[in-house]
Amino acid sequence: MSDHSHEITPPAAEKFDAKHIGGLSQILLVCGVGGIGVSAIGFFVARQQFAFSWLFAFTYFFTICCGALFWTSLQHATDSEWSVLVRRQMENLAKLLPWFALLFLPLILFCAPYLWKWWNIAPGVDPLLDFKQGYLNHTFFYARAAGYFLFLAWVSHSLWKRSTSQDADGAAKHTFAMRKFGIGGIVVVALAISFAGFDWLMGLDYHWFSTMWGVYVFAGAAGSSMSLLVLVITVLKSKGYLKLVNSEHYHIMGKFMLAFSIFWAYIGYSQYMLIWYANIPEETIYFRIRNTDSWWYFSQFLVIGRFFLPFPVLLMQATKKTKYINHVAVWILVMQLLDIYVIVLPALHRTGFRPSLFDLSALVGIGGLMGWLFLRNLVQSNLFPTRDPRLLGSIKLSN
Amino acid sequence: MAESTVTLTTPPELVRVPLVTNDRKHTWITDKVSNIVEARTPLWWWMAFLPCSLIAVIGLLCIGYQISNGVGVWGENKTVGWAWDITNFVFWIGIGHAGTLISAILFLTRQKWRTSINRAAEAMTLFAVVCAGIFPGIHVGRVWMAWFLAPIPNANGIWPNFRSPLLWDVFAVSTYFTVSVLFWYTGLVPDLATLRDRAKSRVAKYLYGIFALGWRGSNRQWRHYEMAYLLLAGLSTPLVLSVHSVVSFDFATSIMPGWHTTIFPPYFVAGAIFGGFAMVLTILLPSRLLYPQLDDLVTRQHVDKMAKIILLTGTIVGYAYLTELFMAYYGANKFEFFTFFSARIGINNSGWYSWAYYVMMFCNVISPQLFWIKSMRTNYVAVFIVCMFVNVGMWFERFVIIVTSLAQDFLPSSWHHYHPSWVEIWTFVGTFGIFLSLFLLFMRFLPMICMFEVKLVTPEADPHHHPKKDQEGQH
Repeated sequence: MSDHSHEITPPAAEKFDAKHIGGLSQILLVCGVGGIGVSAIGFFVARQQFAFSWLFAFTYFFTICCGALFWTSLQHATDSEWSVLVRRQMENLAKLLPWFALLFLPLILFCAPYLWKWWNIAPGVDPLLDFKQGYLNHTFFYARAAGYFLFLAWVSHSLWKRSTSQDADGAAKHTFAMRKFGIGGIVVVALAISFAGFDWLMGLDYHWFSTMWGVYVFAGAAGSSMSLLVLVITVLKSKGYLKLVNSEHYHIMGKFMLAFSIFWAYIGYSQYMLIWYANIPEETIYFRIRNTDSWWYFSQFLVIGRFFLPFPVLLMQATKKTKYINHVAVWILVMQLLDIYVIVLPALHRTGFRPSLFDLSALVGIGGLMGWLFLRNLVQSNLFPTRDPRLLGSIKLSN
Repeated sequence: MAESTVTLTTPPELVRVPLVTNDRKHTWITDKVSNIVEARTPLWWWMAFLPCSLIAVIGLLCIGYQISNGVGVWGENKTVGWAWDITNFVFWIGIGHAGTLISAILFLTRQKWRTSINRAAEAMTLFAVVCAGIFPGIHVGRVWMAWFLAPIPNANGIWPNFRSPLLWDVFAVSTYFTVSVLFWYTGLVPDLATLRDRAKSRVAKYLYGIFALGWRGSNRQWRHYEMAYLLLAGLSTPLVLSVHSVVSFDFATSIMPGWHTTIFPPYFVAGAIFGGFAMVLTILLPSRLLYPQLDDLVTRQHVDKMAKIILLTGTIVGYAYLTELFMAYYGANKFEFFTFFSARIGINNSGWYSWAYYVMMFCNVISPQLFWIKSMRTNYVAVFIVCMFVNVGMWFERFVIIVTSLAQDFLPSSWHHYHPSWVEIWTFVGTFGIFLSLFLLFMRFLPMICMFEVKLVTPEADPHHHPKKDQEGQH
């Protein structure tokens, strides 16, 4: 039951001190630069492999940050109370989104023909491609990509800006403005993640299509993003910050991880089962490749690892409220990595798994860079929205 | 923890409105809700019940006529083998989603506003599933063979096809109905005990006593109750999703253009919640008018929240419609393209039923957009009108999916129009009679608002509640 008083003295603002993490920032930067440097070699010596590896790593981090924007937006749209203490970290993750536009440039400028086969097919060669030329053409492809980044950057920046402004003046007008951006943000994330999924991932085989695809990409993104949030909060707590975040908050975050493990399985199963059942060759091709040779083991492991393992573990309250949630969060993030890997790489190595150094370098490069940028975001504002009108509810949270 | 120097004040516009208005006390809630059941049957009730039950009887007569004469009395033909029967089935089963969603999912997500509407919504769910269940049973033609829907061991060793989604439907719907009944009944027990304790006539005391299962409200009983309710909520939640997903499989596993599309399961579920909430409001708004004493329990805030859910799910449905259209184009399959762009949208005037598609689009996607405006969400007339549009739109959605795909299928020489016969029309109208009659009976004999749960969301239920302190604070 809520408290009836409407006036409290808020806890002091917490600022992140870079000294607390030692040389992590530098290590991440070195990883970022090193990984990107190795990938750059791949760019010159094995352009196609580079393209797929880069797309894989890019998509992994991009979907996680899109998920963070979704969660931030959702909290505002639903006028949520529980999340105020952890919301700033969602905002910080979402604030990374504009940087992805930069990371996408190598793909769209130099690698498009390697990734998306339709790119260089002249009109009149493939009647199926001719049919959808109104959508699959260079100009519209550029425009769409620009649109995704523009909208995502605008919403994520606006939400962060308003939230940090509220730290200074505590005005309710920011809450109302954020609510509007939050509602719009859900629409933006839904459309951007669906159509980016269609363009960049489904487009790896331009003959293949599935109406569920956008929802599938979203399901993975939201679940893994919540897992990353759990880890960020845990790390900050271990450094002595965010003491007000307690097992009740973890409980709710764990519930969302559980919900999205189930949702991912539901969406993945529905998509797979319907394509398998109808057995139309132009649709089954996607799963035929991924169920062949060594990819089959990856696909099976994904089903078990992304759903059957975390599901019973997360079902228990004890997991969600204790340190074990961190282990599950790491696991889900690894499974999201596997999911994106199984989406992207089989389109290149159709006969089976062929690891490449550039898969790793792209992952370390983009991951390092994003980690470094995240730490920069971290010091720019308070660690939780200090004067949010709903802060009290979040502090006194009880499930 | 160190404290900052500024104070954090909740601005007046962000102070949460109480769920029970006018600071009603627990006894007031018990009196007003129980009074609906205990008072003399009002005249309006008879005026509503008699025509509804008459319509229900007409519907049952139509079913009897159809069973004795065969499905030939319907308007179906060789091309359009499924039409109003399955449309009505999916329509009703969809409506039967909101109740369990409100009860189970909103319970698990700790949405306290559910408490004053969950009982009526759950009852509505059950009655909608009853109406839905009629159609698969009678559409098989030889209804005396309907037992064959269930895999019952028999001497001939003949089994239904386990790989058919139609059989999965039987499992999904019957499981959903069973768990929903249990869930609803479990939640009723404490309130039935209240009615038992208040009953003046011996018959009422006896009957409510039987169904109250000896409830005495002891600590031990409450503990068991809460565990049972939580477990049932947990069980019901996947069922809410699975039923309509399995219903969507009936279509999506086929290779029929317009039916085979992978987004069907979540799209059907969102549509079902959408239609279900519209029907909850369709019933709740007039009930509220007839029982003005409920104003403090079912407030504008509740209607506002339900309108928001309608807006959200309507927009999700809109996303699914547009994704389907987009993929029909992107997939470059000419049959799929024809179904969506010619048969449904009506390019080149080739869609026989494109009018139905536009009715669906307007009712389901355009009309709920009115709910972006707050004053519309709290205006009962506007909400009621939009909900009526949604009811119509959700019926048309199923009609569009089923009939447009079948009537103009792969082979133009086999295309065939479909016209419903009077038997079909009256069977469908009859199900409204059954639905409303059952709901009126429910209003008359059972507490339509969950009294003990509503009490839990009042300030009085707070262990730290100090009435005096509150009064002082108001000065």
